[in-house]
Amino acid sequence: MNDSNAAVRVIGLSKQYAAGFRRTPVLALSDVTLDVGNNEIFGLLGPNGAGKTTLIKILLGSLLPTSGTAAVNGFGGGDWRSRLSAGYLPENHRFPPYLTGRQMLFCFGGMAGLSRNDIRGKVDSLFELVGLSQWQNTKIRKYSKGMMQRLGLAQALLNDPQLIFLDEPTDGVDPVGRHEIRTILLNLKKAGKTVFLNSHLLAEVEAVCDRVAILNKGKLIKVGPVSGLLDVKPAYHVETAGLDEAVALEVMNSFPTAKFEGTVITVTLEAPRQINDVIDMLRRRNVELVSVAPVKISLEESFLELIQGGGHHE
Amino acid sequence: MNKFAAILYDSFLEIKDRKIFYFYWLVAGVIVLVFALLPSLRMNGRDILDGNVLGGEALNGFVAKFLDGFLGFAMLLLVFGSAGLAPSFLSKGRVELVLSKPIDRWRLLSMKFLGIYLVKAVVLAVVATSVWLTISIRLGMFNWGFFPGLLFACLQFLVIYAIVFFFGVLTNSAAAAIMGYFVIRIGTDLLAGRKAVYPLLSENSLWKTVLDGLYHISPKIGEMSDNIVPIMTGKGITDFYPVWSTMLIAIVFFLATLLSFNRKDY
Repeated sequence: MNDSNAAVRVIGLSKQYAAGFRRTPVLALSDVTLDVGNNEIFGLLGPNGAGKTTLIKILLGSLLPTSGTAAVNGFGGGDWRSRLSAGYLPENHRFPPYLTGRQMLFCFGGMAGLSRNDIRGKVDSLFELVGLSQWQNTKIRKYSKGMMQRLGLAQALLNDPQLIFLDEPTDGVDPVGRHEIRTILLNLKKAGKTVFLNSHLLAEVEAVCDRVAILNKGKLIKVGPVSGLLDVKPAYHVETAGLDEAVALEVMNSFPTAKFEGTVITVTLEAPRQINDVIDMLRRRNVELVSVAPVKISLEESFLELIQGGGHHE
Repeated sequence: MNKFAAILYDSFLEIKDRKIFYFYWLVAGVIVLVFALLPSLRMNGRDILDGNVLGGEALNGFVAKFLDGFLGFAMLLLVFGSAGLAPSFLSKGRVELVLSKPIDRWRLLSMKFLGIYLVKAVVLAVVATSVWLTISIRLGMFNWGFFPGLLFACLQFLVIYAIVFFFGVLTNSAAAAIMGYFVIRIGTDLLAGRKAVYPLLSENSLWKTVLDGLYHISPKIGEMSDNIVPIMTGKGITDFYPVWSTMLIAIVFFLATLLSFNRKDY
């Protein structure tokens, strides 16, 4: 995408750390370029250590880039104005344990530039939204992990931001809470907000995101719509009543991708219509067919294929 | 609620949550109780709580020295109580959240420094004033010179906290902040007495120059505090050099802290 009013614009971004006692250079991000448009839910996927959190931290000014540029809401990542209309729920956060949930929203809302009255007017509805109304006057040190995630989400939404960065928002949240958070994300999109979601939960990303990017070892290996990520060559399971070696060899010669497991052939094709050729070939050899079914590839399988087999940047 | 008020509020709640906060009040409470309930305080067989026994000036000096000692002890507690506040503010998982707020890094850290300092200075002022008030009521003599002395002690604590804050931000460790402060404090006290070793250095003027140079570029906290008793007893600041040079060095420490924070990855 090439939107001049992108909510997030990253161009040629690299980040190198010096790790360990010997200050060995480690490349956390390598020449990453991507845009996130307004009013979309954008998912950033990648295995642990891929550089997802590093990217978010650079966008929000916690880390300084080694090279390249990162802009949020039209301002550079290090510019405080870029964060005027941004909300953030960090991964592995440690909220001040000495505060109550309510006090935390007052402190962080104040730091975000909200007036006391503004905060007072929003706190109750936010606690209700994240299901923490009855816990708002309890010290955070007594909160469970899931409750802290909910509080973090309320904190991220406090200043009614246009762009919300969520780093593993459902981490430690029970299935009901996950569903609620998913609903909140979809409602944010309906309200015209942009969400930058960092997650390793592929089902979650698949359920809510419009577009995704996949990072691996600091490199952007794919970016595009979720449907595009699932757009792989068609594959079919063909179950037969029995196969002899000669037939199997003939299928192998015509369709080199074919794999055999007992009486089942799994074949990957260039186009769906080619399955007819496979069936015709088997029927000509009087092979009795039991079933023909397309192989459904999940986002997880597609993701693993990209991570393990490399990939290309669209 | 403006940004500074939010940071001040957060600092107050964090300081209030720490056990050492109650220790200040406990120490002050014990001193207040001792002075309030003590039937007599005898020196050379005479009760100095009977205001007529010692001359006004001598009594003033005695009280000023006592309050100076109390302020020194309170500041020591404040160092221990405040060393962990900057590392806690910058701890992993919290600093990312704070840095995501629309505040410049240098302004954020300045506000945090000021927030912690103000809360601690108010604590120092309240506990010291309660001790002074009890003693004054008991003696029936109010030495108003205590307040300029207290103000000067707060200024001294500003210098001390600038150093503790510097090490706290640099190392992200309360223990390192305390150690850093004490190394500087002990080192500068030794440098203040450098002239005692000059005769041992024979003709070697290089060492004298090095020691003199180190003395001039180090914060002279001990010498600065030597002014508290003269201020309380109305004599004023006896030596301005340690005061202004130490203030200048504290500013350098603070600017170095800001510089380090601005360039650091969190």
